[in-house]
Amino acid sequence: MPETQKFAGGSGDSSSDNSLQANSVVHRRYKILGILGQGGMGAVYQARDLNFPDVHKLVAIKEMLNPATDPAIHNSTLKLFQREANILATLNHPAIPKIFDFFDQNERFYLVMELIVGSDLEELINKTKELPVDKVIDWAIELCDVLEYLHTSQSKPIIFRDLKPSNIMIDNFGKVRLIDFGIAKIFDSDVRRHTMIGTEGYCAPEQYKGNVTTLSDIYGLGATLHHVLTRKDPRLEPPFSFGERPIREFNTNVPERFVEAIERALSLEPDKRFNSASEMKADLERLRYQPQVAFGAVAEVNDGTNFFDGLDADGAIQPKWKYPTEDEIRASASIYKEMVFVASYDTNVYGVNLADGEFAWKYATHGGIAASPIVDESNRLVLFGSEDKTFYALDCRNGRISWSYTTQDKIRSTARIAPDVDAVFFGSDDGHLHALNVLNGRFLWKHDMGDPIRSRPFIFNDLVIVGAESGEMVALELSGNRKWGFRARRSLTSSPYVDTIEGICYVGSTDGYMYALDASSGYSSWRFRTNGPIISSPVVHEGLLYFGSADGYLYAINAQTSREKWKFQTEKAILSSPVVHNGAVYFGGIDEYFYCVDIQTGKERWKFKTNGAITSTACIANDVILIGSLDKTLYALPLVG
Amino acid sequence: MDLFRRLFTQSQAKPDELISKTIEPEPFEEQKATEATTVPIPAVNAVEEKDESEIAYADGATRPLPPETVITTSNMHLTFGQSTDVGMVRSNNQDAAFSFFSTSRNADQRPDFGLFIVADGMGGHHDGEKASAATAHIVAAQVTSSVYLPMLTGENDADRIPITEALVSAVQKANADIIARIPDGGTTLTATAIIGDLAYVVHVGDSRIYLITKDGIEQITRDHSLVQRLIELDQLKPEEAAHHPQRNVLYRALGQSESLEIDALTRRLPPNSRLLLCSDGLWNVVEEKDMLGIVIAHDDPQEACDKLVALANTNGGTDNITAILLYIPSS
Repeated sequence: MPETQKFAGGSGDSSSDNSLQANSVVHRRYKILGILGQGGMGAVYQARDLNFPDVHKLVAIKEMLNPATDPAIHNSTLKLFQREANILATLNHPAIPKIFDFFDQNERFYLVMELIVGSDLEELINKTKELPVDKVIDWAIELCDVLEYLHTSQSKPIIFRDLKPSNIMIDNFGKVRLIDFGIAKIFDSDVRRHTMIGTEGYCAPEQYKGNVTTLSDIYGLGATLHHVLTRKDPRLEPPFSFGERPIREFNTNVPERFVEAIERALSLEPDKRFNSASEMKADLERLRYQPQVAFGAVAEVNDGTNFFDGLDADGAIQPKWKYPTEDEIRASASIYKEMVFVASYDTNVYGVNLADGEFAWKYATHGGIAASPIVDESNRLVLFGSEDKTFYALDCRNGRISWSYTTQDKIRSTARIAPDVDAVFFGSDDGHLHALNVLNGRFLWKHDMGDPIRSRPFIFNDLVIVGAESGEMVALELSGNRKWGFRARRSLTSSPYVDTIEGICYVGSTDGYMYALDASSGYSSWRFRTNGPIISSPVVHEGLLYFGSADGYLYAINAQTSREKWKFQTEKAILSSPVVHNGAVYFGGIDEYFYCVDIQTGKERWKFKTNGAITSTACIANDVILIGSLDKTLYALPLVG
Repeated sequence: MDLFRRLFTQSQAKPDELISKTIEPEPFEEQKATEATTVPIPAVNAVEEKDESEIAYADGATRPLPPETVITTSNMHLTFGQSTDVGMVRSNNQDAAFSFFSTSRNADQRPDFGLFIVADGMGGHHDGEKASAATAHIVAAQVTSSVYLPMLTGENDADRIPITEALVSAVQKANADIIARIPDGGTTLTATAIIGDLAYVVHVGDSRIYLITKDGIEQITRDHSLVQRLIELDQLKPEEAAHHPQRNVLYRALGQSESLEIDALTRRLPPNSRLLLCSDGLWNVVEEKDMLGIVIAHDDPQEACDKLVALANTNGGTDNITAILLYIPSS
């Protein structure tokens, strides 16, 4: 049998030294014609049985070396071999090659058996591009049948132990034949002191603890079928990682029920697999011979989390209140004490009561408002820029203007306050990052980036970090001095986010990448590719980074390794930035839904339909989620799930 | 405190800039002359890298402190030790170790840079040691040219690839090279590039990196071994793994296949923490609590490395032993 392990064993290849020569006659009966295969234990020969002089009766002779030098061990190995050979010789099943004879000669053991003409499954995998799924199901049923025979026909179950593609022949009649029975294992001295690469790939986990049962063969069968259908060799993958390679991701022709059967056979816990080969056979026969009713017609069901509060009779979330405006709500609301502040593209900023959504005040600008109003709590100001080029500071209690400041172009960047220095920072389409005194709007400095700045600055360690539409990002000291720069391939509309514990800055770009940078030096650590522009701003929660992409997915990736933990698919692009709260991540989609997704599982807890795309970020306070939609409405949803 | 003042005074600087800013307007040339004294690294048996012009404590020279400085730790740098030994059983050492550290002091303010590599080769007929040596050199050369040199020249190159990507592609290059040149050899690879106080780690196989702080010892790499996989899947208890007959079976290593999956991670190193890179010849025979004890007890990383290797030999020395130890400064 072909060796699968690249560095298996440390001992040299002694088997070739004394291999039987062509045309020699062994056991006074078998004339060696040639070698069929060479394995670690010895060779498999093709031979002619001279007891039938008038016909050309061909047999296979399997050779096994006895590595034991100690006479006692040598003897017990011999006894074991004879006993096993005797058992094999009594087996009678169409998938098991007939054993005709066994003998030993020159310290070697020989098993004379039926010669099978065909290809083993491994060769078939390598020779073909795809095997017909119906054929694979037939083979699986035949394999279950022979396993059932092995497991039940004798007083003690015979466990094959080593089911894998290279041990399964498909003969010239298209029938399954099991070769290479565990008898060879008797001679496997298994001295593995040296580090080696490569694992068996098909073995059940319990076999590594010496607990081999008939259910281990079920796992081996599942592993074999997985390999045949996905064509992903498990010996080249981490052990027991079949679950990470869903069959239908590689082969869409495989019916869901066959996938389920294989997945069940591959359960890590033996008692979660089929109870027996016959049970698995029955399952596969039903699948093979009964007409299939439309796959995947079963509706998705939520996983029974308790969130009845706030659901109506149909199980849909009902808003506590809605606040209508005259135009699209593109930006996020904010909350201070009992008040909600929301900006609309209708040019107004509204003050609304948090409890009931009642109007309190509004302030009209001369342009649409695309930036989110923010609150300076210590000075009780609401701050925002408008497309009328002006940045406003309003008294949050009555909406009366405190001060304003005009830039050279539209303002779409949401502002950030550095409370320690009473400064507020925001970008403008005039290409500058502006720094003002938050108390009186007095100009402190501005930094020229040449291209519009629409992202929201982030403040970390006395650095103001902001990206521009040119793709350039800078970190400025609070004095305005440039500390470091970075450039993405396309625009940085997504706002940078700094994990303040690790000091890593994350930012998405319309080039499709999410970047991780050292916030103190600007050196980029990694980037993660999505299949669409990233406008959504990232957020980190407990080592995971969440963000949406225009490819329609909300991603959760490990912030240290950039490995994907899960991704959640929506119908259209995600421009809204996620918010994590109490084990769930909240975000809106261009598909008009607002989603609540479990951060552990990446599965939907609930969703809420608005009548317009959602581009803004949710604002969560107490028991309310505020989300604005392009349907002009601000929704106050109950915080459930 | 004086954040407000800083906002308005352009010339005010952050603490780590104070030194250069406060001695202005001293001519830059003169500053360089007093500081560019290079001191070769103290006795470290760096196997691969002895180029003293590169390994340098440029800021190590004593000089009068600037009058206004409030920082006393600005001269503190990472220090490291490296030790490797054939062990008590094997006839040749298939491990490879590589250490490189550079620090400089000038107006450009480049962070300190370090690159540390452990590779544990496997395969007969000297293929193992060839594979680990080739891997260490290829990765070092690649990372130097793709990360370190651009850092020195200060190119603000828009196309510069992220650091872990550069590390990963260096490992891919080494893998392709081994497959082409040493088909019967394989090797583990655990490497970290240190830039400032960030550690960028790439890892394949069962060599390890431990992060040691006052709170204890934490393994930050994950072995690509059969037994580790069984443990992760709750199919084996860690105590069963210690003596498992197949504990040396890896499912991932360089030289195995063209497509190699490489673990990459970034970790911020806390002040005063210590980073230990080692081959399985150390961790198979020395318990974590003993590693912790030795590392904590020694102020000199080289001494600690030598002690770790000596203990591995005392405990049997069944395999080649390699340890690289980094002491992160307090600021």
